[in-house]
Amino acid sequence: MESSPIRRRITWTIISILVIVYALFPVASIFATSFKLPSDLTSGTFLPTTWSTVNYEQILVGDAQELFLSALRNSIGISLIATFIAVVLATLCAYAIARLDFPGKKLVLTTALGVSIFPVISIVTPLFNLWRNIGLYDTWLGLIIPYLSLTLPISIWTLAAFFRQIPWELEQAAQVDGATTWQAFRKAIVPLAAPGVFTTAIIAFFIAWNDFVYGISLTSTSAARPVPAALAFFTGASQFEAPTGAISAAAIIVTIPVVVLVLLFQRQIVSGLTQGAVKG
Amino acid sequence: MPQGAKHHGRHRIRKSAAAGFALAVGATLLAGCSSDSGSTPTLTWYINPDDGGQAELAKRCTDASNGEYTIETSLLPNDAPSQREQLARRLAAGDTSMDIMSLDPPNVPEYAEPGYLAPIPDDVRERTTANVLEGALAGATWKDEVVAVPFWANTQILWYRKSVAEAAGLDMSQPVTWDQLMEAVASQDKYLSVQGARAESMTVWVNALIESGGGQIVENPDASADEIRLGIDSDAGKKAAEIVSKIGKDGLGGPGLPTQTENFSMIQFQGDKGAFMVNYPFVWPATNAAVEEGSLPASLIDDIGWALYPQVNEGEETAPPLGGINLGVGSKSKHPDLAYKAIECIVSPENQAYYFASNGNPPSNPDAYNDPEVVDTFPMAGTIRESLDLAKPRPQTPYYNEISTGIQQTWTPPQDVNPDTTPGTSQQFILEVLKGERLL
Amino acid sequence: MSTSVETRAAAGGSPKGRKPGLSDRARAERRLGFWLAGPAFIIMLAVTAYPILLALWDSLFKYRLTAPDDRQFVFLSNYATILTDEVFWRDLLVTVLITVVTVIIELILGFALAMVMNSALKAVRGWLRTAILVPYGIITVVSAFAWFYAFDINSGYVNHWFSWVPGISTDLNWFADFGTAITVIMASEIWKTTPFISLLLLAGLAQVPGELTEAAEVDGATWWQRFTRVIVPNMKAAIMVAVLFRALDAFRIFDNVYIMTKGAYGTETLSLLAYRTSITRLEIGMGSAVSVLLFLCVILICFIAIKLFKVDLTGARGGN
Repeated sequence: MESSPIRRRITWTIISILVIVYALFPVASIFATSFKLPSDLTSGTFLPTTWSTVNYEQILVGDAQELFLSALRNSIGISLIATFIAVVLATLCAYAIARLDFPGKKLVLTTALGVSIFPVISIVTPLFNLWRNIGLYDTWLGLIIPYLSLTLPISIWTLAAFFRQIPWELEQAAQVDGATTWQAFRKAIVPLAAPGVFTTAIIAFFIAWNDFVYGISLTSTSAARPVPAALAFFTGASQFEAPTGAISAAAIIVTIPVVVLVLLFQRQIVSGLTQGAVKG
Repeated sequence: MPQGAKHHGRHRIRKSAAAGFALAVGATLLAGCSSDSGSTPTLTWYINPDDGGQAELAKRCTDASNGEYTIETSLLPNDAPSQREQLARRLAAGDTSMDIMSLDPPNVPEYAEPGYLAPIPDDVRERTTANVLEGALAGATWKDEVVAVPFWANTQILWYRKSVAEAAGLDMSQPVTWDQLMEAVASQDKYLSVQGARAESMTVWVNALIESGGGQIVENPDASADEIRLGIDSDAGKKAAEIVSKIGKDGLGGPGLPTQTENFSMIQFQGDKGAFMVNYPFVWPATNAAVEEGSLPASLIDDIGWALYPQVNEGEETAPPLGGINLGVGSKSKHPDLAYKAIECIVSPENQAYYFASNGNPPSNPDAYNDPEVVDTFPMAGTIRESLDLAKPRPQTPYYNEISTGIQQTWTPPQDVNPDTTPGTSQQFILEVLKGERLL
Repeated sequence: MSTSVETRAAAGGSPKGRKPGLSDRARAERRLGFWLAGPAFIIMLAVTAYPILLALWDSLFKYRLTAPDDRQFVFLSNYATILTDEVFWRDLLVTVLITVVTVIIELILGFALAMVMNSALKAVRGWLRTAILVPYGIITVVSAFAWFYAFDINSGYVNHWFSWVPGISTDLNWFADFGTAITVIMASEIWKTTPFISLLLLAGLAQVPGELTEAAEVDGATWWQRFTRVIVPNMKAAIMVAVLFRALDAFRIFDNVYIMTKGAYGTETLSLLAYRTSITRLEIGMGSAVSVLLFLCVILICFIAIKLFKVDLTGARGGN
């Protein structure tokens, strides 16, 4: 293990490149596919022979525009609302768990755990039946509610862990210094809690954004269909032609928010997922 | 709120015809849209994916109605089983927006049986079915009653490379058999392009083979689940299994066969080892487009010929696959009368001809085949028309989905089909599934 | 929010200030606790417990959505049908196979990634983290399509790139055979979820006292000895939790299979069977029964993990 700094650096460069190739290759693969012409799709090469934007035109301004853009709107809207509600509810819940003494704390945490391991497919059928009867089928709300079952548990756990690490004495200290309760909370606690809440929001958003089972089972029109479900609706020029290009282009577009969030907040996401145990 | 959308016919010969239309398409199909539009009721038309033709027809008929109704389209998934799934779920949910639906014929009984389809007014039925190809009408009928309006009819024909047929010494002006084709591709080291994937296309193929061999998959389609009699385990079924099995075992369909669907059959046919293919008419515009794009040689077009679907037994008439779309009206629709009015407009011969020429989907009305634009775009229109006369529908039963999935599971991959056992196991499996004794 | 904070402040803050005799303050704190935690709790319960009970009820009927009039009570006969059907056992076996193989490979890969991130130079650490978070954040369906298109005989390039490998040629149809299809499905699953497991392990690694590894190094222990004797035993809890979470997740695999094969050629998993039976076939009764069985399997795995391997879930995810 005794090695010169230069050798160390070279080793790390190689390792890093390997990891980065591992992580990004499939993305690069579908990225390249998304720029292929329809006739180029079966050429068997990684890169397109000629780079073309026809697939993007198809889904953004062409035939598949309404299909894709309405799905994109649904995905963004539903995921954001589900994330927002989950984070608000989880913040209240986690605050209570971290700060208050009440019976049933453990029950709440255990329930969250139980819900997070719940097989989604098991409740799709009854939810479908229920939503049909009460008119939530194929609506935004009809997806937001089940998304909460995906996003709430992890939000509660992550936030409870965050809140436990906050030195709440600061609040009392601020109050001693003459601040009102609200001021003390806002000035001393909010700055400490906000990053945790924000991180949780990103993780919750990823989860909602990723959903497929609810998306294909509980929607049937562009009124609520999210992007992962809409990918199955793309078609080539006729019903029988393969929609490979359009799907690839759509896949790249829905990956952009993920990449942007990861680039901007990688440190926060990692610490959120590992409960702040890692030092940057 | 309808959203204007520029429509670009992407890489199609009918680019000019289709480009530039602002489609009156409901981008956001908000629930209740059909009820609160005040003076002009909005009809929702659930369409299967195409090249923009149905959206254009929606616009044309909206204009033609002079403000009586507005048709908005809503897209269904691109494969027939998923379309069925979406429609059945909405119909079962009692959705009031199901004004017009593009229905795959084999699924019609499943909607008709529980009363999900609004009855057709007698006068509409008379006018829209007076001049319709027999097969197309059969696909719109359930228990001797017309329950949907035939819109267009699809069929597979035999496409061949003239050079290969000539080299193999096949006289394509005469009907050919599957055996001849298999022999020809084996001798020429080429591929016979069929659809061997575990998908709806497999049922289409098996049904056509059994029907061509004089058999029937379901002998009493009107029966209830536990009384259905199947004809898969029969001489015709055995002959069908021999063909599927040989193509699979001898590698005549190429390495992609077990996952091959219509599109990839076409790509195989266009390639170096292409020789014969059974496929729908979409092949023609798609191949022309690829040639225009420059990705296929122009000489390919001249090398392509067409004939009727191959025969199973020499001298016995072939029974090509029948597909297409019928238009139905949901029984919970708020405007069934207007919906049927709109349907009459949609299925008018001129509109059917337009749809054929622009989207490649053949009309259910024989008159539309005489349209000059049609003949111009599809030189094989005559063969298609002839094929539609011979075509046999897939089983018209409310349990079609079970039967079709059962066939797909037992007849794929093609190389594992055994003529001696597959028809028997397939038949028994499906019967057990129908009785609820087995999972599918 | 402000009112709740005032109430909390009035309640005296720290939970440790509690007395056995339930003072007014403690009672107020309790009430506040219920109010704050209640909504999340009720929603979680409502979205899962109610539907699963409904599924349990529906599973006792023969009920097809498009034939609502034929609905009839059949008690447990749906379960009898499923449990005596080879399809169910085959799907269960495939699901278990996917679970076991992916979790083992992910554990090894995840460990490697965690070690790399743990000891990486500061300069590259950010890059590595960003890179491995991409698979974590990407939509599973997108990942499935990416892998599918890469391997597909028609649109893929893998066959062309690796045609020199024995067994691979341009004629290899990956999705036409169980062995090859399941390999691609698992590869996609592993690629997508290894980052998650490696992050959980990274948190575990951080909990291994540095003095211990240093002391072992001083004592002349090899790298492998340090790893097996010091690092692994000290992060056993983290490993167990990571494995259990991933196993439960892998057991529910759906998206990848649905996109790549739709379950053709023996690649169907339990989730897909449940989906096909209830959503595609519209056999609500039978489908509900499959769903309930799937749910029971997950409970069983959990139970085994907690009772047999003594995994303490609450402690490990809570981070204290």
